[in-house]
Amino acid sequence: MGKKYLRMTLNERIQHINLAINFTILVITGFALKYPEAFWVSPITDVPLGMTFRGFLHRLSGVATLTLGGYHLLYLAFTERGRQIVVDMIPGWKDAVDLWETLKNNLFINRPAKVLKMGRFNFREKLEYLGLIWGTIVMTVTGCILWFKEEWLLFFPLWTFEVARAIHFYEAVLATLTILVWHFYSVVFNPDVYPMSWAWINGNLTEHEMELEHGLELERIKAEEKGGSVHSNEGPKAGGGKVYPMQEGREKLSIKGIYGMVQNFNESIKNWKGM
Amino acid sequence: MIWRKNKAWIVPLGILSLLFFLGGPGETAWGGNAQCLSCHQDKDLAKKDARGKKVSLYVSEDLFGKSVHAGISCTDCHTRILDDAHAGKGVKEADRKVDCGACHEMSEKLFKTSVHSLRAEIACKECHGHHYIKPLTDPRSVTYRTNLIQTCGACHPEESEQFGGSIHGVELSRGRPNQPTCTTCHGTHAIRAKSDPESPVHFRKVAITTCPQCHAAERIMREYRFTTQPVRSYYDSFHGLSYRGGDAFSANCASCHGVHDIRPSSDPKSMIHRDNLQQTCGTCHPRASENFAKGKIHSVASIKGEDFGEKVVGWVRVVYILLIVMVIGGLTFFNFMDWLRKTIDRKP
Repeated sequence: MGKKYLRMTLNERIQHINLAINFTILVITGFALKYPEAFWVSPITDVPLGMTFRGFLHRLSGVATLTLGGYHLLYLAFTERGRQIVVDMIPGWKDAVDLWETLKNNLFINRPAKVLKMGRFNFREKLEYLGLIWGTIVMTVTGCILWFKEEWLLFFPLWTFEVARAIHFYEAVLATLTILVWHFYSVVFNPDVYPMSWAWINGNLTEHEMELEHGLELERIKAEEKGGSVHSNEGPKAGGGKVYPMQEGREKLSIKGIYGMVQNFNESIKNWKGM
Repeated sequence: MIWRKNKAWIVPLGILSLLFFLGGPGETAWGGNAQCLSCHQDKDLAKKDARGKKVSLYVSEDLFGKSVHAGISCTDCHTRILDDAHAGKGVKEADRKVDCGACHEMSEKLFKTSVHSLRAEIACKECHGHHYIKPLTDPRSVTYRTNLIQTCGACHPEESEQFGGSIHGVELSRGRPNQPTCTTCHGTHAIRAKSDPESPVHFRKVAITTCPQCHAAERIMREYRFTTQPVRSYYDSFHGLSYRGGDAFSANCASCHGVHDIRPSSDPKSMIHRDNLQQTCGTCHPRASENFAKGKIHSVASIKGEDFGEKVVGWVRVVYILLIVMVIGGLTFFNFMDWLRKTIDRKP
C-alpha cells in the first residue's frame, strides 16, 4: 500500500453523508408525489397519512439541506481549508481544455493518449460542485414558493406558482439524473475506482488515484514536502480547531480499520490478473 | 333445397308453437287476479295498521294492467295469501312483505349491502312503488331519471332541493340526456354511506371514477362544449397528485365545486364564482389572499395554450426537457466513452 492523501476531512465526510441522505430522501419523497401510482411508492401510499407524512418529510429534508448549505458556506468562509476549496474550485480555461483533451483521448483522436495532469479539483468535480450549488439555489427558491404559496401569491399571479412547480420538477429530474450519471460514474463505475472510491468513508485517496485524477496537485504536494513545508490539505492550521477538532485522534479508532479490510480485499480483486 | 321439398319440419315446429302459445299464460295468471280483484277493486276497501292508521287496500285493475308486472298474478308476489279466507282470518296473514328478491335476485343481493337496507327500514316499494310499477324507461315511472329528484327527495328533501337548484338538476329537468341524476353518483340498489370505501361517493372515488365518468368522457363533454381539461389538469396538480397518492386532506372535485349544489362559475351562488373563490380556497388555505384565488386553476401547460401562464409553463417545460436531454445525454456520452477507453486500455 502506497502513501495515502487526505481528500476529505471527517467534517467534510459528515457533510457529504448528510447531503447524500437528505438528497435521497428528497428524491424519493419528491417523485413519490409526481408518480403516486408507481410501484415503489406503495410503501408511502399504502400507509394511512402516508402522503401527508411524505410532504412533511420532504420539507424537513429540504430545510436540512438548506441548513447544511448554510453550514457549508460558513465552513468555506471561516476555515482556511474551506477558503482554499473556494480558490481551487474556481473553474478556468484549463478545465475546458482538460475536458476536451479527455474526450479526444477517449475517442482515440489523441494518439498516443495525452497524459493529463489536473489540479486539486478536476473538471469533473468542478462541474458537479457548481451544478450542485446551482441546483440547490433553484430548488430552494422554487421550493419555498411552493411551500409559502399564500405569501408568494400575495404579490404574484397564479401562473408564476405553476412555473415554480414546473421548474422544481424538471430541475429535480436534472439533478437526480446528474447524480446517477455523472457522480456515480466518477465514484463508482469509473474503472479506475470501481467498485467504489473510498474517499467518502475513509477520506483518503491512494497515490495511484491521485496520479490519475489530480496529477498536478500530487506534484505540488510532493514539491512542498521536498521543500520542507507542511502540506496544507492536512486539516486546519487556523480557525482554532473549532470547526473540526474531531479529526485528530478519532481517525485512529475510526471505521477505517473495518473498511480498510474491505478495501484491501477490493484492491486484490481489482488487481487480479486472472489465473 | 331439401327443406322446401320435404315439409315434414312443419310438424315439430307446429307442435312447438302450439306449446308456446298455450303454455305461456297459464290459468293461474288471470284467473287468480280476477278472484282477488273482485274484492280489491272496491275503492273503499281498507284496513287499519298497528297504529290504527287507515290503509287502503284498493288496487286499480286498469293501472295494474298497464304496469310492468301486468303479466303476473297477484299470488306470484303475495305468496302468503293461500285462499280468500285471509280477510276473515285477520290481517296478519296478508300482511307479509312481498319478496321481490324471488325474481329480482341481483337487485335484492345488491340492496342487502346498501345503507338503506342496513341502517334504514326501507324496502323495494319505498322507491319503486307497489302495484303500478313502470319500467325504468317510462317517463311516468317513479324511478325515471327526472323523477328521482322527487322519489329520493321524499326522504332526502334538503339534498333534493339543493340538487334541483344545481346545474345538474336544472339541466336534468330540461330533459337533457346524459345529465346526472341521484343514482348517477350514488348508485342504484347498492347505495352506500359516503364513509364506506366501496361507495362511489366516498372521497377516494369522487375524483377517480364518480365525476370523471362524465367529465373525462370526450363525447359527453363535447356535447356541452366543455373539455376534459379540468380532469386532466386536476390529476397533474398538487391537489390531484397528492389525492392520487391517498391524501385524505387534499382537495377533490367536491371540495371546491360542492356536492349537490354544484353551479357554474357564472352563478353568483356558485362556490367557484369569482366573488366566492377566496372563501372557497380559504376553507383549506386560511391565509389565502384575494390574489390567491385569481388566475386559471385548471390550466394545462402547453406552448399553444390560451392562457399566458399556460404558455409560459409550456415553454419552461420545453426548455427544460431540451436541457435535460442535452446535458444528461452529453454526460452519458462522455462517461460512456471514458468507460470504454479505460476498459479497452485495461490489460487482461
